[in-house]
Amino acid sequence: MNAAPINLAAVEPQLRALLAAGRGAEVEAWIKPHLAGGSGPAPLWLLLAHALRVQGRAAESLPIQQMVADQMPGDLAVRFDLAETRLLLGDFERGWREYAFRYSLPHTSRIERKVQKPRWDGRPIPGKTLLIHDEQGYGDTFQFMRMVAWAKARSQARVVFDVNRETAGLASRMQGHDAITLRGDLPPAFDFHCELMSLPMIMGLKLADLPGEPVPYLQALPERRALWRERLAPYPGMKVAFLWAGRPSHPNDGNRSMTLEMLKPLAQAGVSLFSIQKGPAEAQALTPPPGMPVVSLSADIRDFEDTAAILCEVDLLISIDSSPVHLAGALGRPAWVLLPFLPDWRWLLNRDDTPWYPSTRLFRQREWGGWGETVERVAAALAEAGQRL
Amino acid sequence: MEQALGQAQAHWNAGHADQAERLCQHVLALWPGQSDALHLMGLMAHAYGNLDLAIDHLRKACLAPRVPAAFLSNLAEMCRQKGLLEEAERAARRAVTLENTLVAGWNNLGIILQEAGKLEESLHCLQRVAALQPGSPEAHNNLGNTLKRMGRLAEARRCYEAALALAPAYAEAFSNRANLLTELGVLDEALADARRAIDINPRLADAYINAGAAELAAGRYEQALRWADALANFAPLHVGAMVVKAKALSYLHRLDEALVEVRRAVASLPDNGEAQNALGEVLQARGNTAEALAAFERSALALGFAPEKALLNRASLLMELGERDKAEQAFDALLARFPRAAGAWFNFSDLHRFTAPDDPALAAMEALLAPDGVQVLSDRIALGFALAKAWMDLGEPERAFAYLDEANRSKRATFSYDSAATDQWMASIATAFSAEAMARPRAEVAGSEAALFVLGMPRSGTSLVEQILASHPQVFGAGELADIHHLTQCGLSYPAGASQLPLETEAALGRRYLESLRTRAGSHAYMVDKMPSNFFHAGFINRILPGARIIHVRRNPVDTCLSCYSKLFTREQLFAYDQTELGLFYRAYERLMAHWRAVLPADRFFEIEYEELVADLEGCVRRLLAFCGLAWSPACLDFHQTRRLVRTASVNQVRQPLFNSSVGRWKPYARQLGPLLAALGVEGVEGKPVEASRIA
Repeated sequence: MNAAPINLAAVEPQLRALLAAGRGAEVEAWIKPHLAGGSGPAPLWLLLAHALRVQGRAAESLPIQQMVADQMPGDLAVRFDLAETRLLLGDFERGWREYAFRYSLPHTSRIERKVQKPRWDGRPIPGKTLLIHDEQGYGDTFQFMRMVAWAKARSQARVVFDVNRETAGLASRMQGHDAITLRGDLPPAFDFHCELMSLPMIMGLKLADLPGEPVPYLQALPERRALWRERLAPYPGMKVAFLWAGRPSHPNDGNRSMTLEMLKPLAQAGVSLFSIQKGPAEAQALTPPPGMPVVSLSADIRDFEDTAAILCEVDLLISIDSSPVHLAGALGRPAWVLLPFLPDWRWLLNRDDTPWYPSTRLFRQREWGGWGETVERVAAALAEAGQRL
Repeated sequence: MEQALGQAQAHWNAGHADQAERLCQHVLALWPGQSDALHLMGLMAHAYGNLDLAIDHLRKACLAPRVPAAFLSNLAEMCRQKGLLEEAERAARRAVTLENTLVAGWNNLGIILQEAGKLEESLHCLQRVAALQPGSPEAHNNLGNTLKRMGRLAEARRCYEAALALAPAYAEAFSNRANLLTELGVLDEALADARRAIDINPRLADAYINAGAAELAAGRYEQALRWADALANFAPLHVGAMVVKAKALSYLHRLDEALVEVRRAVASLPDNGEAQNALGEVLQARGNTAEALAAFERSALALGFAPEKALLNRASLLMELGERDKAEQAFDALLARFPRAAGAWFNFSDLHRFTAPDDPALAAMEALLAPDGVQVLSDRIALGFALAKAWMDLGEPERAFAYLDEANRSKRATFSYDSAATDQWMASIATAFSAEAMARPRAEVAGSEAALFVLGMPRSGTSLVEQILASHPQVFGAGELADIHHLTQCGLSYPAGASQLPLETEAALGRRYLESLRTRAGSHAYMVDKMPSNFFHAGFINRILPGARIIHVRRNPVDTCLSCYSKLFTREQLFAYDQTELGLFYRAYERLMAHWRAVLPADRFFEIEYEELVADLEGCVRRLLAFCGLAWSPACLDFHQTRRLVRTASVNQVRQPLFNSSVGRWKPYARQLGPLLAALGVEGVEGKPVEASRIA
């Protein structure tokens, strides 16, 4: 016998609030009796899948999400969530396919760039011009711009990389394109186009292809490095750049960001801490907690060229999941990343390295919101590294 | 200005809508009405899904005295998308008149003419496009659509295949081929194509509708509903989704929900012929005949392909109403306008008595079944049954059965049916409603004496017995009701669970049945439910309605089965399209009825032999009325005069006074009925096959 019918619209906000607080087990326990008969409304199944993911059980969430997607293939929000679960579980082949629906969501359909030329389908197009354009966040651009060179090799086309102003300098020194244009400027005439993050689907990117050649694929400017080398020279010991908060408008910012105070265990003898935090949180570095000496570089970081130069001149980056992590990886510089219990799909699950960047090490929360224990592990690793240095 | 326009176009090519719009606005501020700027604004509005605004811009752009043909061609296509077919056609014709070599213009005109039903002209345009652009998958796909609508299915299929060879991930071509394969009756392949289309483009609405249609054709109504729901999930006002859903719900006998669905469709697009036709079908199924006729008549006025279906539905409904003359006129008019309308020929053949082999209708139907005739499978099947009927009229068993066997084979191939499972199901009912279970005390259900059930095999005479009863002034004939079937489905785990219900549950179920029926029966004291397949549920009926009288109509097994085999049922009788399966079903039915005879109270169960009824009408009717507790009424003997709706395959027979031509009818066909006779365990007459002889 099924439980009494429920008014989903009435309870959904409460369930969502519990999920946002990481209380997946409670939501699961509440939902399960209503689905005990093996059937129920799709939104309830999706909430159950969400509750499982919040508990770190993405593999159990997958068949539920797939079932709902099979039932309603035209619900593209469901398909996009499925993409994220598949990618998180490392199923690149099917994950990238579903990831194609990222511009078909109610809040994204209007931001899709409606290019009036056909999308490149992965076949050779010698003699043609291919416009590859970046999208979304800076971290995405750093992470995926390695594929521009691969696309050029595959397509045999003239490749124009259309990229945001902030990362264009680094991109322009990267190999594998014939021209750079800035986002919003009129590009030269072209025959085909492709979004930067559609390249994985179109080129059939597999886990085994990572990190790919060459690594590092970005280089800092030598003159900026010289400036920052000089600036950092007076500080003794192991030089560690760090940041603790991402762009506050990011949908998952509540889970990925923390406060400066929470990183206090990083204050160790023989370690110089440099804040490269940007945005509203950078002011925290001016009043660090007692006993935590921090040198804030934020005011002098004008652009990603400065960030790149700093990352090349320090020994280590310690950061939450934010764009400097990808920049460090692309530069081949050591970085330690603190990840929430349910991380972004690109960090996969159950591993402390990442196929994307050989120089990166991952520190994952072991329970929802459990930064304290994660920071302790980072601090212990830092002490160990300091001794070795 | 030139430069600004060039830049605007280049920005739009690169996907910079903001910059392109700014430049256009700049140009329009200097030169209001500048047609290139308006045209580009229209294209952008279209790309962002604002069709009304796009058309508005394009109309203004096309006011320029030297408007380029391409602008008119784009306006035409947008008007088509908006359903403004007349404006679309005018604009497209202007485009190709201005520039005779504009391929896009011919293409758009071809599609517009296709939608408007001007198929010959459409074909001419699209053949031209395909010749000019043989490498364009869209050209082949569009040409395929027009050929399909012309009934030239083999050519259409080749076009879709050409399109898919050029573009292997062309969702529309897969979806269109799915539609075509459904018409050809290749249902699994049709569904696979529709799935591939949805896989490529999960927002392709037509693919969902075509998937639903394939499931409907295969009798998988729940699956059809699922496709309709999946479409409605992202396109809640899609008329096609609502129509598929209504059809599926009707097949599932969920007529109230079906009506809600078609009413939504009609409210959303009142001029849509498909929606009006679907409304008519649901109203007809609910017995609202006047409203149904009105809906069919509205649909017949629409553009496109609904009128043919609607006119056929209207004529069939007139036939069901017993308006023989009006129905024949309606079929004649329909065939004059749509000479290839197989459904009309099918009904015409049923109404008509063929007396001469040179009857022109016979030649016309045979021509339609020839290789260059109709290709839609359901049409070919209907024609096969119609021709078999004609040759039976003419006393030519061999020719009749050549058509009949082929038509039944084709029909049988469109669905799956498991004889052994049906056998088991009937046996499990007898086990559940055992003598012991039936002997338990019965509930008190006030008013249950008013219910009369007429049941038995299809084609055994149940319609006739109902017509006789309904001719009595105190009796209301409710037709074939799905109510009992529904009651068995409402969570009782039928049959095992349903045979052991507490008395109060049984009484509540009985009251539910009576309440629903009472609203239809008005002031009549008795109500007849003549769903033949209620024979499955005679035990259940007796438990929930202890006062109800159950009348079992029997007829010679071979005559019954021959009659089933030679009819194309509108509702599913899955056992009836293979002689052996039919015979096995009959044997299982006989076993179940023997069980009911043993366990039902004698004063609630009555059996009529069809042959006896024919031989001694008055005597039989007197006994029947006495069993029902009804006073004698001479109206019952003039049953063919009674005006009421009959919705079964026997529609044209209950209107006739009784002839005993239906008795022993099978004997001339003994040679053709080998598998049936074997399954029934009946030998040919006097143990040997009979030479076919002409029926007088």
